[in-house]
Amino acid sequence: MFEITFALFVLFIVFQIIYIFIPVFSVNEQKPFKNSLVEQPISVLIPAYNEENIILNCLEGILQVNYRNFEVMIINDGSSDRTLDLLHNQLELEYMERSKSNIIPHEEVEAFYQSKRYPHIFVIDKKNGGKADALNTGIEFSKNEIIITLDADSVLDRNALHAINSAFNDRRVIAAGGMVHIAQGFRDIYAKPTPTFAVSGILKYQIIHYLTAFYLHKLTQTKMKSITVIAGAFGAFKRYALMEVKGYRRTVGDDMDITIKMQQLIATKYKTYKMIFVPHAICYTECPSTFRDLFRQRIRWQKAFIDCVLHYKTSFFRKINITPSLYLLLDSLLLGTLNAFIMIHIPFTFISSNEYMIPLGLFTMAFFLAGYQSIAAILVSRRFGLNYSKLDYLRITLFIPIEILTYRLLGILFVITGTIMYFRNKEEWTVSRRVGSDNKKYEYAKEPV
Amino acid sequence: MKKFITNIVFAISFLLIFSFISNVYFDYFIQAFTGDSPPFPPGKSFPIDECQSWTEDVRNFNVVEGEQAEQVTVLMYHRIIDDHKLNKIHYETDEKLYDTIVLKSEFEKQMNLLREEKYVTLTAKEFKLFMENKLKVPKKSILLTFDDGFKDNYIEAYPILKSHNFTAINFVVTGFVSERDHKFRSDQTQYFSLSDLKKSCSSFEFQSHTYNFHKKNNEGMAYLKVKSKNEIKNDIATSLVNLNESKRSFAYPYGEYNEETIEILKDLGIEMAFTVEYKDAKPGMNMYEIPRKAVFPEDTIEDFRLKINLN
Repeated sequence: MFEITFALFVLFIVFQIIYIFIPVFSVNEQKPFKNSLVEQPISVLIPAYNEENIILNCLEGILQVNYRNFEVMIINDGSSDRTLDLLHNQLELEYMERSKSNIIPHEEVEAFYQSKRYPHIFVIDKKNGGKADALNTGIEFSKNEIIITLDADSVLDRNALHAINSAFNDRRVIAAGGMVHIAQGFRDIYAKPTPTFAVSGILKYQIIHYLTAFYLHKLTQTKMKSITVIAGAFGAFKRYALMEVKGYRRTVGDDMDITIKMQQLIATKYKTYKMIFVPHAICYTECPSTFRDLFRQRIRWQKAFIDCVLHYKTSFFRKINITPSLYLLLDSLLLGTLNAFIMIHIPFTFISSNEYMIPLGLFTMAFFLAGYQSIAAILVSRRFGLNYSKLDYLRITLFIPIEILTYRLLGILFVITGTIMYFRNKEEWTVSRRVGSDNKKYEYAKEPV
Repeated sequence: MKKFITNIVFAISFLLIFSFISNVYFDYFIQAFTGDSPPFPPGKSFPIDECQSWTEDVRNFNVVEGEQAEQVTVLMYHRIIDDHKLNKIHYETDEKLYDTIVLKSEFEKQMNLLREEKYVTLTAKEFKLFMENKLKVPKKSILLTFDDGFKDNYIEAYPILKSHNFTAINFVVTGFVSERDHKFRSDQTQYFSLSDLKKSCSSFEFQSHTYNFHKKNNEGMAYLKVKSKNEIKNDIATSLVNLNESKRSFAYPYGEYNEETIEILKDLGIEMAFTVEYKDAKPGMNMYEIPRKAVFPEDTIEDFRLKINLN
C-alpha cells in the first residue's frame, strides 16, 4: 500500500514540476498580437438548444469580432423554447437552399435560413438530436476549411478569429483549442474586457483552475504533442479532419471524444500534423456559480472522461501516439482518478498506525507544489497580457493557500462521485439549470482537465 | 531580462523549498519504505531510570528453615502471540510454530498456575543473592525472563504479568528499540518503543541482550563468538549506556558465548549472565553460565508443571 502511494506521489511530483517549469521557462513576454493580412475563410458553428436566455449574448460577441472572412452557423437543435423566435427577430431570417456534403449522418433538417441583416450568419433548424448531432449537421452544411465550434454560452473575444487564422497558417495544424476565460471574472467582456478577482470564492476557485489548466497544462501538452481535450467551448478544426473521423460521437463528453479522434488521425494518417493550444484566441464562458451546478458539471466531466478512456481503451499506444497515451493514462487516469481513491485512504491508514509524519509529508509537498503551480499560472498569464489590479493580486495571494486547503479538496469528491456514478448509471444525463429557465439544455463539457 | 530574473528567482526559491521539504521528511519515508526503525541512538539512555528503581529492592521472604529453595527454575520466553492473531510468519512449517513463540492462551494458563500455586517471581537482584547464598527464597520461587524485547511482550504479556503482580526480566536488544511508537501489527516483527518501555517498566526489569549484536555471520556463527573482543565490548557497552548502566545481568544471544565473552562481561562489570542450557539454577553455579528452561509452543500445562518441578 505504502509503496503504491509513494510511487504515485513521485509520478505526481514529476508531472507537477513539468507543468510548472515548461510554461514558466518557455513563455516570453508577449508583444501585442499582429493580425495576419490574409484571412482564411472560417465557419463558426454554434449548437443551441433552449438557449433563449443567452443566445443573444453569444451573437453580440460574434458581431464584435474584427474578422471579415467568416460565416456563422447557429444550429437550433429542436429547441422547445423561444430560441428560434429570438433569432428570427434579431437576424431577420430568410429561407435559402444550401447543399451539404452527405458524409456524416444527422437528424432531419427542417429549414436553412440566412440573416438579412448580417448575411454571414446562418441558422439551421433541425430536429433534436443532441449536441454532437447538431455539430455534425453544422459540419455538413459548412463551406469553409476551418471550422470553429463555439458553445452558445461563450462569447468570442474581438481578436479570437484572427488568432485562430494565424494558428492555421501552419499547414500542419489539424486542430486548435482557444483560451477559455471565465466570463464572470471579467468586466465589460464585449467592449474592453478587464479581469477582476473581486468575485465569489467558487468563481475565484474556477478562475485559478482555468488559468492553470490552460496557461500551464494545455501549453505544456502542446509542447509534448499530447493535447487530449480541445475545449468544447471554443475549438477549431480542419474540416477535412472532422469529415475523416465522421464527425462527433454522441456521448457525454463530445469535446474530449473528438480530440482523441484527432489524436488517432495524427497517429495513423497525418503523422507530421499536430494539435495546438492558441493562448491568444480567447473566449469568455459562463461558469457555474453555485456549488450545486459546479458539482453537476464536474461530475459530468469525470463521467465523460471515464467514458472516453473506456471507449478508446484498445487504441492507446496503437492508434494513439505514445505521449498522449501516457499523458491520458498516467496523469489523467492514474493520478487524476485512481489516485483520488487512494488519497482518501491515506489519512486513515497512516494516522491510525501513528505514522502521521508520512501523510504530513505528502500533504506538505502537495501543498507546496499546488501553491507554486498557481503562482506559475499567474506569472504566465501576466506574460499573456492578463493584468489584474494590485488589489486583485493581493486577493489572489491570499486566496491561493486557502483554495488549496478548501476548494481543491472538492476535486477528490467530484472525481470519486463521478466515477462511481458513471459505473452505476451509464445512461443518465444530468441536466443543470441556468438562471431563469427550467428548460432542459445542453450540458457544456467545457474543459475536462 | 525581467523575465530572466523572474525565472531564476522562481526556480531557485522552488528548489530551496523543495529540497527543504524533501530533507525534512526523507528519513520518515525511507523508514516507511524499509519498514525498519533506525537503530536506537547509541549515546542516549532510555528514560526509565526512575521507574526501574523497584529492581533494587530486596524482599525479606521470612523463609522458615528447611523451606528455602535449593534450586530455582529460570523460565525463558521470547514472543507471546494472541491465538487469534496467528499469522503465517509465525509458522516454521505448515503445522509447527517457531520455538520462540508461546500462545497467549497458554501463557495465561501458565501464569494462572503460578499464581494458584502461590509462586513468587524473583527480581534479578534477589536471584543473584540467592545464587550467592546470600538470600533465602521460598521453594516456590521462579525467575521469568523474556529475550529480545518484542513488542508483543508489552501488548500481550505485560497486562497478564501486571494483573498477577508478577515481574520478569526483559533482555532487550537495545538497538532495536524505536524512539517513535508504531501501531502493533501481529504480522510484523516489532520491538519495544520507548513508550512501551516506559509503560511496562513496573513489571519488566530491562537488561541487556547486546546493542546490535543479536546477529549471525554468513557461516551462521553468532557475533558474540566471531567478532573481535573490542567490537563486542563496544557493542555491549553501548547497550549499557542505553540501559542507564544497569549491569545486573545479561543474556547471550542464541545462548552462544565463550571464555572471552565472559571476560568481556566481567570487564564491563556485568554481574551475571544467562545461557539457554535446559536446567534449573542452583547456588554455586558459574554466575556467567546460568541455565534457563525455554517454554515451547507445544508445551502442555502438564509439561509446564514438570518444567517448574511442580508435582
